[in-house]
Amino acid sequence: MTLETSYFMDSLVFSNIRQRPTRTIISVSGVALGVILVILNTGLVRGMLNDRIRRERGIGAEIQFTRKGSSMLSPSSVMSLDLRYGDRLRQIDGVSQVSPVGRYVQTGKSGLGFEQVDGIIFESYASISGLKVVKGRVFQNDSEVIVDEFKARQSNLSIGGEIQVFGKQLKVVGIYAPESGARIKMDLSALQTFLAAENKCTFIMVKVSDPDKQEEVQKRINSELPGNVVVLTRDIATGFGRSIPGIDGFVNAVLTLSVIVSSLVILLAMYTTITERTREIGVLKSLGASKSYIIGVIEKEAIVISMIGVAIGLLIALVAGWAIEHGTTLQLEFHWTWILTAILIGIGAGAIGALYPAVRAANQDPVKALAYE
Amino acid sequence: MDEILLTENLTMTYRVGKVDVHALRGLNLSVNPGEFVSIMGPSGCGKSTLLHILGGLLQPTSGRVIIGGEDLTTLSDAERTDLRRRKIGFVFQRFNLFPTLSAEGNLKIAEHIHGKGKPSRDNRMRLEVLKLLQLENKMRHKPLELSGGEQQRVAIARAVINRPAIILADEPTGNLDSENSKIVLDMLSRLNRELGQTIVMITHNPEAAAVARRTIEMRDGTIVKDYLNASN
Ligand SMILES: Nc1ncnc2c1ncn2[C@@H]1O[C@H](COP(=O)(O)OP(=O)(O)OP(=O)(O)O)[C@@H](O)[C@H]1O
Ligand SMILES: [Mg+2]
Repeated sequence: MTLETSYFMDSLVFSNIRQRPTRTIISVSGVALGVILVILNTGLVRGMLNDRIRRERGIGAEIQFTRKGSSMLSPSSVMSLDLRYGDRLRQIDGVSQVSPVGRYVQTGKSGLGFEQVDGIIFESYASISGLKVVKGRVFQNDSEVIVDEFKARQSNLSIGGEIQVFGKQLKVVGIYAPESGARIKMDLSALQTFLAAENKCTFIMVKVSDPDKQEEVQKRINSELPGNVVVLTRDIATGFGRSIPGIDGFVNAVLTLSVIVSSLVILLAMYTTITERTREIGVLKSLGASKSYIIGVIEKEAIVISMIGVAIGLLIALVAGWAIEHGTTLQLEFHWTWILTAILIGIGAGAIGALYPAVRAANQDPVKALAYE
Repeated sequence: MDEILLTENLTMTYRVGKVDVHALRGLNLSVNPGEFVSIMGPSGCGKSTLLHILGGLLQPTSGRVIIGGEDLTTLSDAERTDLRRRKIGFVFQRFNLFPTLSAEGNLKIAEHIHGKGKPSRDNRMRLEVLKLLQLENKMRHKPLELSGGEQQRVAIARAVINRPAIILADEPTGNLDSENSKIVLDMLSRLNRELGQTIVMITHNPEAAAVARRTIEMRDGTIVKDYLNASN
């Protein structure tokens, strides 16, 4: 029976959304874009950090020793730490093994992200980290590398395949496990030759004889070799976020940007809507609708549009996330707090963006509004 | 006195640049419950201005307006809006239906606003009004799918559905051909006779004015004639 039709399906809010498809599509896309921005970017940052943390911990050494100013994640490829520090570290009480590592950072194969190459001394590195070659063999000359299983799978590499490092084609001769540090490993001396950095490395892994006393060993190293950076590997987990310069700023910029995009799009959409509907607002007023009623009608419409945008944005972000994981060297990790943040930003920005048009509509002069053509 | 509408010495002066336009100059009017009053007068004599003030859409320059015992001129903007919600039903020359809503949606939004957000549970009034206005079969239609006469009947239904104290109609037949005008006027007088609805209607058409029991003639912002139409 027609008279029983639900009020809400026939209400101004939904009829306007249906009646103005272009406007609805544009504003939905704006909100969706904001949601996608937040989810993908925070997912990428998280994925990247967590992946690095996992692999850094896989190194097996409790302590990492490096020079001041050299960050283990930033894409600088200078090896500036003298290898002789290794001998001095080995003599410190409580240190059982050391192994120098040279790290080179290059742009990822798809141009997105970056990729690291470790130059290692295989025997000492393997004995600290427990790394094993599971397929093929260890590198034996300057043009051979080994990669981990993830890298092999992702880049479709098998034994005998080629990989580009410093613009040179190097041969993959082995696949190793488990993951630790960079996914591509070569001989430290080969890396030194390529970078013309004889007797240098980036950092030195330090294994202590008693893991419970690692802090004492850390202090001892600090006092015997002052002016260097001595970090506990377990602290790297919390420290990484800060060790990539500007990562918090980047995340904040993404959040701000998506709030601005979403609210501006909704503001513009609702602003044109209320201008178009000036006379309707006059009619609402002639029917005795209060200011808050009129603000409510416009806000509801904006929030419904925002919710559609959020839903579509979520869907696209998840699909895109899957595609990025499978198509690039980038790693994504979604987390419900960020998904929730994205949802709140989408809906909140919509509500905020609609506020100005809504208040403006509510304050219109009813006689003028009714005379509007 | 039980008049439902009373104005005392009502004046309205618009200021256009440096010029004052005196749209109403000390107008006194009283309307009793159940009356059907038509207002005539030359263009620019202040008819619409009067109607807007009576409905609380416009604040007069001076004088008093009393609607059902409440003095409009002492009320804030929000209070006037609320009085309009409770006591006034407007009908306009240009129908002013919500174009995206069906006829039914147009009625429901009026009920929704009147009920302060709660949809009305009682269908009786709506059914009675729809029957009276012969709109039962048009409820699903959007305004553009209705003739001018039908649209105006929906607008009248929307104005009357919450049983306002007064219906204020500004040239309700101004956009209609003579046949539809006749139907709409007939509906208004039936609402007046059968439901006792008080109506104040502006018109340029003497025949339309004659449908009302009482006619007021205005000139230059005041009432110059006030008489009963014999035929009613
Ligand atoms: N917003 C306004 N600002 C300035 N002057 C106005 C305004 N509204 C109306 N007027 C003037 O007030 C006078 C009365 O206008 P009003 O609209 O009440 O006349 P009316 O009797 O309804 O005329 P009509 O029959 O043409 O509708 C006119 O001189 C008009 O120009
Ligand atoms: Mg007029």
